[in-house]
Amino acid sequence: MTGAHFDYHEPTSIAEAVELAARFGDEARFLAGGTDLLIQIQRGRIAPRHVIGLHRVPGLTGVETNGRIVLGGGVTHRTIERTPAFGGALRGLVEGAEVIGGHQVRNVGTVAGNIVNASPAADLVPVLLALDADVTLAGTRGERTLSLERFLLGPGHTDRHPDELLTAVTMPGLPARSATAFLKAGRRKAMEISVACVAARLTLDAAGERCLAARIALGAVAPTTVRVHAAERALEGQPLTAEALRRAGALAAEAAQPISDVRASAGFRRHLVSVLVPRALHRCLERARGQA
Amino acid sequence: MKVTVSLNVNGEAWELSIEADRTLLDVLRTELMLTGTKTNCLEAECGVCTVLVDGMAVNSCTVLAVTAQGRQITTIEGLARDGELHPLQQAFIDRGAVQCGYCIPGMILSAKAFLDEHPSPTDGQIREALAGNLCRCTGYQKIVDAVQDAARVLRRERRR
Repeated sequence: MTGAHFDYHEPTSIAEAVELAARFGDEARFLAGGTDLLIQIQRGRIAPRHVIGLHRVPGLTGVETNGRIVLGGGVTHRTIERTPAFGGALRGLVEGAEVIGGHQVRNVGTVAGNIVNASPAADLVPVLLALDADVTLAGTRGERTLSLERFLLGPGHTDRHPDELLTAVTMPGLPARSATAFLKAGRRKAMEISVACVAARLTLDAAGERCLAARIALGAVAPTTVRVHAAERALEGQPLTAEALRRAGALAAEAAQPISDVRASAGFRRHLVSVLVPRALHRCLERARGQA
Repeated sequence: MKVTVSLNVNGEAWELSIEADRTLLDVLRTELMLTGTKTNCLEAECGVCTVLVDGMAVNSCTVLAVTAQGRQITTIEGLARDGELHPLQQAFIDRGAVQCGYCIPGMILSAKAFLDEHPSPTDGQIREALAGNLCRCTGYQKIVDAVQDAARVLRRERRR
């Protein structure tokens, strides 16, 4: 027994799901994998009167990897881990997905859930930010698409209207000589919320020396997962020397706004960023150069 | 709100009238009396409530029973065949991999889902596969050994 008393709805289309959400407004919650929602309900943190299950809604679990990359909102972390097309330049996606909870959580937890839960420590979201992801929302007034960066507003807070369902995440395909990487620091290797995490993406020039494009995103060191534009700009157009990577780490640490809590002090989190950013960039560099 | 839910548990069909907010864990334990599935953290951290849904390990504490309709649910009670223990169960006994025992049903079900996909695992892969199942007696080495023993038995059975 969750201790909550809610009505359960099981729509069979996106249109029906968002109509229900519009009708019940703040009293309703969408249910996908349930690994965050049911915990919040059982802790008494939220008490929805209506739960709208998405299990019978078709069109939410597709994965596209030709050209642009599309992840349906209902795609599970398990699916990301097992998608062969994510083994190469997009490996950061797998690295972000495979550290979320245990297998039991990843088998049912979804991309949309990880995003709309809006935890500053969400592990997959920095990777999506580093891939310039857009989110598509379906609502009763139609569909809209906006950048993931603009969608995330604060801890547990997004730009989603109560009637809107996050149906898909879309990322442009990566140019040649690109690579991604994700690194996470926790107090132990598994089953741990990030103390700090970093996602990076690099695109190299034909010689494999200069940076054409850089993306750096951080988790658990600000009110939302964040991109650090200043550190990205410092790399673009520059030779990717060890000193340039170190400097990007310093700029990222400066841009971070960490808090001190039971897991780590703000100072230690900043230190982690300054170390993990160059390390993640270095990994991208090796991977991008390793592509024949 | 009461809902009628059809569940298939260990190959047996059940039709239940339950409150919509009840978790699969709660329904398994208190309606079906399948108490091999354990209750502990209720927040998808410890893994003692692990069951298989269509062969995949899930934490039944964070699954609403109503969403498990039409899926094949396997609990620890459903692993033995014709009165004979599953090779994983036998290996856990033979290796002394059980201390207090509370985590073991979940541990074995996670191991089963894992071995179904990885018949010849390394010790490291086994540890990673069982990361979502905590043993507070902290006897992980014998658990890993037991899973390796079971993997060998299952490979032999497959060849036959």
